[in-house]
Amino acid sequence: MTPTAAEVLMGNFMALVEPPPQESVGDYTASRISVIGMNSLLASQETEMGAAVRVWENQAISAVLSKAGAPLAASTEDLSITALDALNAKLRLALIAVHEALEAHGDAALDREILTLYQAMANKRMLVLPVIAGS
Amino acid sequence: MSLADQLSAYLGRLWGREAQVLDLTRIPGGASRETYRFDVDVDTERKGLILRRDPVGSLIDTDRRLEFLAVQSFYGRGVLVPEPVALEMAETELERPFFIMGRIDGGKAASPFTVDAYGVYAATIGEQFFSSLGIIAKADPVGLPISEVTEMPSLAACWSKELDYWANVIETDQLHPQPIVWAAIRKLRRNPPPPAQKISVVHGDYRTGNFLHDGEGKIIAILDWEMAHLGDPMEDLGWAIDPLWGHYDPDRVAGMLTRTEALKIWEQASGLKVDLKALDWWSLFNAVKGQAIWTSSAREYRDSGAKDPVLALSGWYTARRHDKIIADRLASLEGWA
Repeated sequence: MTPTAAEVLMGNFMALVEPPPQESVGDYTASRISVIGMNSLLASQETEMGAAVRVWENQAISAVLSKAGAPLAASTEDLSITALDALNAKLRLALIAVHEALEAHGDAALDREILTLYQAMANKRMLVLPVIAGS
Repeated sequence: MSLADQLSAYLGRLWGREAQVLDLTRIPGGASRETYRFDVDVDTERKGLILRRDPVGSLIDTDRRLEFLAVQSFYGRGVLVPEPVALEMAETELERPFFIMGRIDGGKAASPFTVDAYGVYAATIGEQFFSSLGIIAKADPVGLPISEVTEMPSLAACWSKELDYWANVIETDQLHPQPIVWAAIRKLRRNPPPPAQKISVVHGDYRTGNFLHDGEGKIIAILDWEMAHLGDPMEDLGWAIDPLWGHYDPDRVAGMLTRTEALKIWEQASGLKVDLKALDWWSLFNAVKGQAIWTSSAREYRDSGAKDPVLALSGWYTARRHDKIIADRLASLEGWA
């Protein structure tokens, strides 16, 4: 999934390093800084959980691929986000192909298992904003 | 020459009178355009206006002429929209195309990521919100300005035109494989909705946060028409009630009304019936469309040097929320192939 926490934190720096033009000072800049703050908060969550979630997802996809008769290993010694994402991209592409094929063949049980996997993937990747009351 | 000076010169030429722009200030909102508020003195009169200029990088790639004509289509026709003032497609005036609208003061737009955004006025605002959407759906697009620039699809082709378009956006812009949204796209293709009841103007981004209210229960302007087109009126309804725009309230769509209440108000205003099977299709479609927009945001964020934090938030937080919405919906669909 993109962008990564590292990209967002770099982006926050890029967004702040140049002074805003005169006509953008005020509400626009205040809003922009608020969004930068939100992005930093989300980056803190992603930094904390990002590697663990990717390791989990890679293994979960690999397990489903094995059941579908299309095994693809999920292990890697490089636990950097870049390496885990590269492996994740391969596994996700294989999962898309497997899911598409089984839909055509009507394998309802495995289809249900993949849909459950999608829910778990989405849940584990969720980022949370603080509760802010509307005005 | 400053932007204010350029704008003064432009308006002077447009109106054939000396115009002086004052207090030009960029404001947040409308992520696909740079938006500025300003006053202009012309003769002895002072007007409050809004400038919407094409950005260097954007959340979505939209046509400013289409947005201008969409606003023009409903100005004075029962939907509260700002007065369309001028459209300039040339890049010689303000470096990028832009248009100018009347300014509606005293309003505020809710952030979609707040809870209980409308407080005690939620139901009152909800009634106006879904009623206005019904009025848009009811309008005959033939003869409206927007029909000059938008294709009129057949009743049967509304769904495939939109699905093809947004699937192509994902195909083109995705930076990382997205199995959840592709499963939804295949599911939508295998289970097409019934033909549209009629062809309507589709606002394209009709949701909480894209209108102004006065803080006392009255909607005063429907904004952000940049994704307007002609199509199935159920499309807007599905977007308006998407959980992403629900202010984290599982019981009230758009954080305003129960789903049943909202659909009833829309039916009364539009004179149309809600086909619940069609709405299921358009609801899943809208989650896909949302994911396409966030996918483009992530692409644009990276391609434009990561300088716009709104693109990051859209390509990241909202993308993940829509993944969850789609995954939950895929798991709960019954009777779909």
